[in-house]
Amino acid sequence: MHTNAAIAAGLKAAEEGPGVKVPIIPAWGELIFGIVAFLVLLFLIQRFVVPRLEQAYAERTAAIEGGMEQAGEAQRQAEAAKQQYEDQLRGAQDEAAKIREDARSQGAQIVADSREQANAEAQRIIDNAHKQIAAERQQAAVSLRSDVGRLSTDLASKIVGESLHDDVRQRGIVERFLGELEAGKVTPTKVGSTSGEAGA
Amino acid sequence: MQGNIAILGYGLSAIGPGVGIGLIFAAYINGVARNPETRSMLQSIAILGFALAEALAIFGLVLAFVFR
Amino acid sequence: MSFTVQAMAASGSAEGGGFEAPSPADFYQPLIGSGQWAFTRPMLLMIISIIFIAGFLIATTRKAAVVPGKGQWLTEQVYNFVRNSVAQDTIGSKEFIKYVPLLFSLFMLILVNNLFGIIPPFQYPTFSRVGFPIGLALLVYVIYHAIGIKRKGVAGYFKGLIPSGLPKGIYVLIIPLELITYFITRPVTLALRLFGNMFAGHMLLLLFILGGQYMVLEGGPGLKVAGIGSWLLAFVMTVFEALIEFLQAYIFTLLAATYIADSLSNEH
Repeated sequence: MHTNAAIAAGLKAAEEGPGVKVPIIPAWGELIFGIVAFLVLLFLIQRFVVPRLEQAYAERTAAIEGGMEQAGEAQRQAEAAKQQYEDQLRGAQDEAAKIREDARSQGAQIVADSREQANAEAQRIIDNAHKQIAAERQQAAVSLRSDVGRLSTDLASKIVGESLHDDVRQRGIVERFLGELEAGKVTPTKVGSTSGEAGA
Repeated sequence: MQGNIAILGYGLSAIGPGVGIGLIFAAYINGVARNPETRSMLQSIAILGFALAEALAIFGLVLAFVFR
Repeated sequence: MSFTVQAMAASGSAEGGGFEAPSPADFYQPLIGSGQWAFTRPMLLMIISIIFIAGFLIATTRKAAVVPGKGQWLTEQVYNFVRNSVAQDTIGSKEFIKYVPLLFSLFMLILVNNLFGIIPPFQYPTFSRVGFPIGLALLVYVIYHAIGIKRKGVAGYFKGLIPSGLPKGIYVLIIPLELITYFITRPVTLALRLFGNMFAGHMLLLLFILGGQYMVLEGGPGLKVAGIGSWLLAFVMTVFEALIEFLQAYIFTLLAATYIADSLSNEH
């Protein structure tokens, strides 16, 4: 582009050209041409380029905002679901705790009840046993008494040789004997010695 | 040796703006290093200061060609 | 370094077979006609750039979809950068949308034309001809003053230039300073910054490439090695230039946005 020859030729041609001696003096042609050219470009850009770009921006912003809104909506829903879930969870936990508490108190109640019941049962069994024992003792005493009576009469009748099996007599004798026995008038003596004397 | 004293004038006129531009960018770097999030704000200010300081050097250059 | 001085010396006495250093004259390349109204190479580049930018942008946004394609994605990256990190951050989220087309056009035009400085078939930064940056700066200048006056009225606008809460005595100092800032320094620096960066950067590239060429073609064995070194350096400088070119487009847009924001704000 810039060969020496071209420069030399240019120098000769342009020795008097504008902006050669003093480079900050503009050539009028270039000054006005520059302004006009810029105005043309400005017009084209203002008319055709910027509105379209701005429109695209506006659409993009709208699209992004729409997307954001949707995302926000989804987030709100998720938030609500989470809240609900947490509420449920908390309710379930509360309920579980209550149930556990109930079970514990109920268990204690049951234990206490059954202990009481068992005590009562035991008491009842003991009482029954006592009563039965008393009754049996009574019975034994009664039957013993009649047996003793009969045996003594048998014995006595053998000794006396007289039938004491007459009921009236027998009863009277036995009663009298027992009464003397209880009053301590008759001291028990050895049957063997008495019978020995009696036998001799 | 022969030449144009105006070129020396340009050399002298470039000293001041040279120091000034150095100071401006030193301050800019300092600012960004201390506070990186202010970078974009400081950038335009630094470029503005740079342009103003540079104008002096450009004057010197132009005048060197004017008074030759 | 001594080479540079020699080159400068050689350009001072531009005759003989010595090395011809690049000079501002190299940037004046009329294609049709001559003088003030010549159709020059940067004009052609400007037309190409506008066809390219407008064509690309309109093609990629013709069916602007919610889910962008590759082209639309690319356009949106640049557009987002200007819209959000320049316009919105500087002007504020309430009113910035009205100025986005202006800032976006500025950024695109300056960026593409600057990058023409290192893209092979063009290899000429349009804004290294001072007329173009002055034109853009003039437009921005008119726009930000117009916005301020429309917002606050003429009297209110000039009153708004003075920072509030200052003692009256300081007004003598501050009023001329503010007037100079708003009406002279701002537009001039805006134009000259872009011009100077492109001009000097491209000149540097020219110097390294042409100097290297001269040394390789004409010099002895030692100079040939130096010439190749110069070319390598030119390659590094090209990468650096790409950065500068982007940065300048950003700075121009950012400053325009800042000035507009200043005019819009109620306080100084």
